Amino acid sequence: MTLLTWIFDSLLGLSLLWLAWRALACPNLFKAIVLFVAFGLLMALAWVRLAAPDVALAEAAIGAGLTGALLMAALAKLHPTEAHNDFAVPPEKNVTKVWSWQWLPAITILLVTTGLGYVVLSLPPYATGLSTEVAANLEISGASNPVTAVLLNFRGYDTLLEIVVLLLALLGVWSLNSADLDHKAAPGIVLDTLARLLTPIFILVAAYLLWVGAHAPGGAFQAGAVLGAAGVLLLLAGWRPRTGLMALPLRLVLVIGPAIFVIVAMLTLLIAGQMLEYPPTQAGALILILETAATVSIGVTLAALFLGGDPRKNNRNKNHT
Amino acid sequence: MGAVFTEFPWGVILILLPVTGGILCFLWPQIAKITGLFIVFVVALLVVGLAWQIFNNGVYRHAVGGWGAPLGVDLYADGLSLLMLAITALVGMGVSVYSAAYFKHEQAAQFWPLWLLLLAALNALFLSADIFNVYVTFELMGLAAVALVALAGSREALGAAMRYLLAALLGSLAYLLGVALLYHGFGTVDIALLVERAEPSPVIWAALGLMGAGLLLKTALFPLHFWLPPAHASAPTPVSALLSALVVKASFYILLRLWLEIFDPLVGGAGVEQLLGLLGAAAILWGSVQALRQTRLKLLIAYSTVAQVGYLFLAFPLVAAAGVSAWSAVTYLVLSHALAKAAMFMAAGNLLCFGGHDRITDLDRVVQRLPLTAAAFALAGVSIMGLPPSGGFIGKWLLLEAALMQGRWDLVAVMILGGLLAAGYIFKVLGYAFTQADISHESKAVPASMEWTALLLACGAILLGFLAVPVLSLVGIGDPFGIGEVRP
Repeated sequence: MTLLTWIFDSLLGLSLLWLAWRALACPNLFKAIVLFVAFGLLMALAWVRLAAPDVALAEAAIGAGLTGALLMAALAKLHPTEAHNDFAVPPEKNVTKVWSWQWLPAITILLVTTGLGYVVLSLPPYATGLSTEVAANLEISGASNPVTAVLLNFRGYDTLLEIVVLLLALLGVWSLNSADLDHKAAPGIVLDTLARLLTPIFILVAAYLLWVGAHAPGGAFQAGAVLGAAGVLLLLAGWRPRTGLMALPLRLVLVIGPAIFVIVAMLTLLIAGQMLEYPPTQAGALILILETAATVSIGVTLAALFLGGDPRKNNRNKNHT
Repeated sequence: MGAVFTEFPWGVILILLPVTGGILCFLWPQIAKITGLFIVFVVALLVVGLAWQIFNNGVYRHAVGGWGAPLGVDLYADGLSLLMLAITALVGMGVSVYSAAYFKHEQAAQFWPLWLLLLAALNALFLSADIFNVYVTFELMGLAAVALVALAGSREALGAAMRYLLAALLGSLAYLLGVALLYHGFGTVDIALLVERAEPSPVIWAALGLMGAGLLLKTALFPLHFWLPPAHASAPTPVSALLSALVVKASFYILLRLWLEIFDPLVGGAGVEQLLGLLGAAAILWGSVQALRQTRLKLLIAYSTVAQVGYLFLAFPLVAAAGVSAWSAVTYLVLSHALAKAAMFMAAGNLLCFGGHDRITDLDRVVQRLPLTAAAFALAGVSIMGLPPSGGFIGKWLLLEAALMQGRWDLVAVMILGGLLAAGYIFKVLGYAFTQADISHESKAVPASMEWTALLLACGAILLGFLAVPVLSLVGIGDPFGIGEVRP
């Protein structure tokens, strides 16, 4: 390791700690979210330094980008009087006390960190894990990028369940709130032009990430996140789909990822005898089908999360009034 | 014909079918109720198929993707998994029939997809043989459970759901950190391979601490139970039943599995069992006293869950000498508590629907006005108190026997005191159910199916008391407790 990379890594680590602390301690929630997004971007850089470009892409797109957008959307829904950080502003009466129960979590965390630090130092610095097994089976997995091979083939069952988790998250949000479909703020000319220019580019990037995932960093989650970002941009620019599209068509697009996954799982169970056991010759095609469907679902789910409510409820309320 | 039954992949379908059902209910809410009921009953039949298969072929193993551990994920079912799947199907059927009458219109459209996905998560969890896969099922289970709590829509329910979400996520993250450490240390996430490769080291202790803390938080063992009473009490009634009967047991099941297979052989005898037993004893006393102090019926039942979870942990310090009977006791307590607590929450839900409130002092002669519900509550109470002849009695008797054999008089005292306190809070409710309240309230009719499901589940908890021999021989298949018993 050269001196330059050493300095870079140290600065990166310190900045991460500082940003994390500032995001927690900042009394203004808007600033805290901006700091959180900055933290996510630097975190992505840290993953690059750890030679995990797949994780870096996901962190930048989902951890920094979409999570930041979701937090901003949540902040916009808060009443101005509620929009402050309770953690950063302790109640007055606690200030004079030297000992308060707030110290208990701090001490616990300190102890856990110390213990974990000891354990991590006791581990061998490099563990091969399963990388030799993955490499040995990469050829028949249908993808030459080991991350994609693990996610879509070796441990495809985990990914099947993870995509259902995303659907569940949306179901949870929908059970809480109705979508604000009527809101059509006149978009500024800049935002409007930007959205028109960027949306096709976002779609192109998503398609590229999806395709390249088979042999290089990329894949369904990253591509879906970019697609979701396009959706967020369109929603910000005031675009709303027609009401007819917000019913069954939207739900069909939302479930196409998990549905195709379940169908492939059933078919492989029927034909090969084991769930998600792909014939090696068709593995590549199957993975592409699964990833394409997942990308569409992930993208639309993320945009729907940003919209933040059940579009069905909105229609019903309108009919009542 | 027989070959078809013994070779059919029952376990895989047990996971895929409820996922499919959840997706269908989401797409077409107008047929959600009928689809949901159909899927839940088919899942129950699949569990019977799996039982038949396990009985004939021994333990069930399915290498997903055909890779096999350590590269792929394995599904695994032995007697213990089978019993957990069976109780999930049984309580699930009861809750589904109850929910068909309980939820109306918009709420029903939201309930069915969430419940079917929760069912898929529970089945996947009980079938998992891979600690990372277990984490994914925890995510599914946690999100579904939180969304179901929030379905009630009230201010308390939303607050409780948020607290539940944070507790569940914290638990999952601690668990995941433990998984990462084990993977780095031993190069696999398959439980059976970890058993072969693991050796005493700081990693094992750190993994035990992290995963144990995460799972105890999810299981709501005292003093990590803070999220449970508000969440279980403010959720819609069928959801309360699901959470107390099944969801809390799921994380306990994983804790039990990991302890038995990985941690006990490595760090057993170092005091962890004693600590768990101590917390269990504290949970029994604290939960029971709190239950006795409650004025609202659903909160009383929720605190009773905190106490009954404590009993499950009393077995840990008793295993060293009593072995089989302590683990049999735990199995029995899990099964009977699932049935009894589901019945009890349903009875409370009926009273809530009937009178519009669940204030214990204003129950106002429900024994005469809702006799079936009152009977369901009383029968479920018999099992919770541990009176014969009920499933709860068998479980607590086996546990008491194990404690007496080892001369653990402290645990014997806690168990007897816990039983007395349980009798206190159950009879408190039943007492007010007989007396007339000062102010009479208007009452609404309760659908018959809601009364009957509560009563049938309560009868199930009693009947369990007569099935000790078959149940205990079933749980021995595949030797989940490591006692070397010969498989039938």
